[in-house]
Amino acid sequence: MANGSNGDGDSIDSSNLSNLNPNQPSPDIPSASSSASIEEIARQFQESISLPKKHPFWETQPVGQFNEIGDSTLPEGPIEAPKPLSEVRPESYNLPGAYEWTTCDIDDDAAAAEVYNLLSNNYVEDDENMFRFNYSKEFLRWALRPPGYFKQWHIGVRVKGSKKLVAFITAVPAKIKVRKEIVLMAEVNFLCVHKKLRSKRLAPVMIKEVTRRVHLENIWQASYTAGVVLPTPISTCQYWHRSLNPKKLIDVGFSRLGARMTMSRTMKLYKLSEKTITPGFRKMELRDVPEVTRLVCKYLAQFEVAPNFDEYDVEHWILPKADVVDSYVVESPVTHVVTDFCSFYTLPSSILMNSNYSILKAAYSFYNVATKTPLIQLMNDALIIAKKNDYDVFNALDLMYNESFLKELKFGPGDGHLHYYLYNYRLCQPLKPSELGLVLL
Amino acid sequence: MVGNWQELIQTVVIGLIFSYLVAKLISTVVNFREENLKVVREDDVLAEEESSSAPSADADSLKIETPGVSEGKILEDVSEDDYEDRGKKEEEEDEEDDWEGVESTELDEVFSAASVFIAATVSDRSNKVSNDVQLQLYGLYKIATEGPCTVPQPSAFKMTARAKWNAWHGMGAMPTEEAMEKYVEIVIRLYPDWGSPSASKTSESGNASKTPMGPVFSSFVHEEASDDELKLDVVHVSAREGKAEDLIKHLENGVSVNLRDSDERTALHWAVDRGHLHLVDILISNGADINAKDNEGQTPLHYAALCEREAVAEFLVEHRADVNMKDNDGSTPADLIASSWNFMTCVH
Repeated sequence: MANGSNGDGDSIDSSNLSNLNPNQPSPDIPSASSSASIEEIARQFQESISLPKKHPFWETQPVGQFNEIGDSTLPEGPIEAPKPLSEVRPESYNLPGAYEWTTCDIDDDAAAAEVYNLLSNNYVEDDENMFRFNYSKEFLRWALRPPGYFKQWHIGVRVKGSKKLVAFITAVPAKIKVRKEIVLMAEVNFLCVHKKLRSKRLAPVMIKEVTRRVHLENIWQASYTAGVVLPTPISTCQYWHRSLNPKKLIDVGFSRLGARMTMSRTMKLYKLSEKTITPGFRKMELRDVPEVTRLVCKYLAQFEVAPNFDEYDVEHWILPKADVVDSYVVESPVTHVVTDFCSFYTLPSSILMNSNYSILKAAYSFYNVATKTPLIQLMNDALIIAKKNDYDVFNALDLMYNESFLKELKFGPGDGHLHYYLYNYRLCQPLKPSELGLVLL
Repeated sequence: MVGNWQELIQTVVIGLIFSYLVAKLISTVVNFREENLKVVREDDVLAEEESSSAPSADADSLKIETPGVSEGKILEDVSEDDYEDRGKKEEEEDEEDDWEGVESTELDEVFSAASVFIAATVSDRSNKVSNDVQLQLYGLYKIATEGPCTVPQPSAFKMTARAKWNAWHGMGAMPTEEAMEKYVEIVIRLYPDWGSPSASKTSESGNASKTPMGPVFSSFVHEEASDDELKLDVVHVSAREGKAEDLIKHLENGVSVNLRDSDERTALHWAVDRGHLHLVDILISNGADINAKDNEGQTPLHYAALCEREAVAEFLVEHRADVNMKDNDGSTPADLIASSWNFMTCVH
């Protein structure tokens, strides 16, 4: 009896609670909840969180749709024709009341520091929240100021009262060759919303705003990547990792030491020679820009989607910048012709849960061209350089010809899949990673 | 006669109270469905007696926990100004739904998974969660989902309700995130094996930790070492895991300190490999062969050098490990270290 009255009193109380709480949001519950059995609701719940999802947003956007995959009757190319600029919405999209748009002047130290702080605390993490990308200020300046960049494409959101920067999205212009066409595109990147504001759903309006500002420059296509499947990837690549400092990688949980494996054999396995092997292997210099441009253009021409670099682009994207991008050329000791080059960018990550280490220093394979030197040897030299410069790991996607050296150079498969997308441009068939020649940062 | 009357009155009164309570229970369940389902789950948790209402209520709360349902408001604010006509607005609302689950924080996800787990666990009668902890979880849950307690205190006769109210009210103005964190902490403390598998599974399937656009952080896929042929004895395992007591026990039970695994490693190799200096000490004082070679001709000092374990190497050298021993590749331990260690070169 005592038990029963307790239980019942309890239920009375909670109904009172709910009645007394008018502030409680009363969302529309789908009618399924009224009569459905637990199994059915559980099944619906399961469905709601499992892939493939419905994508009402992307289904309204000019992007390749899931149901079009393999439909060869659809033409390749732009999905929607450009609009007259007068039809582009002239004013910014409205933000929720407490927020306002800002343009982040990445040249300015204070503004760059603000962006750096937002990203280093709130940007992409791994699934287990052990690591978070820590793009350096210099890296951001490099990534956001290529030739012809638009300041107004570096978009921030501030809290009106405190002026605190709470969200960020960017685009930079790029000439991308798609099949035989050269298309001026925006590369959209660095979408980041402060962790505490994720529920405010700023991202959709930010994407719309950056799209609007891109349209205002009479650019109608974009490329971007995501870790999630959206309609519709033009290609899906996998990350591979080459341990340079296996002990640290194991310690911080980037890789694991199997119970049957010894640390000593692991260390031995990943040992690299002290010096690079290829004769004439040296750091790229400004004078190499024309030759490197020639090499890279010829090389990238063979891929279905790849940037179309000119000398200004090469000078910006490939010429070494300390702790941002490293490039090495092979200059023939005999003819002094540059025959090959390799490059990688520096993207450290914060280590979130380790008392011994706070930063993981990672090199990411960028563009590599081998004409005389075997690609494997070239990349092995890149590994040696990276090891010498205290990188912990060398990462590469399986795009371009990378697959040909990954296994042999002791890269191991990663858990990250990177999906590539084009906005307002249709490809009838998804590309194999080896047909893709584009690296986004 | 008098007794009969009393009994009759008692029966009638109890009957009336009971039917009132049943009616109230039904109206409660209906109410919850209609407007405020969030409350149900933890009521569920605490009021185990209400098992009859549990399935549907629980399911409802699952439904409502799907991130984003309650967040439509802000979006409408955004979209209202964007579009004039109704048709476009609906489209807009649709597009917001697409971000459901993508944008909620990892903490939201973990908290949500933890509360689902607790609801399921506690409604299982064999659970071992004490009332105090349940009340604490209840309070944190309310803070996390509704914020500080603003409802009036229930009457002192409603003991459970009062206790729950006290638990919620007692949290004061704790921030939502902190409440979620504490909730998750308690759950992990109660069920240490809960944390990783189901939590990571949830975030993986919901893609919660992935941003809707941008790069991806990747780390090694965990592959079990393919070296299945390797046979280890208990002493090797204890040495590898750094379990001193186990190791001593095995040695006392007569296991040879120099027993080899299938790759000819001794327990000392394994202890050095994993950097357990105290086990190295134990093994050496129990007569381990300090210059034992594995099938590649490497001694424990080679291992210490390769694994960059300077303190262990120094300890081995102090205990007269041979610094000039060559492995099958012809390398001495000193050849294997990147930097130079004085104690190794001195002996040279």
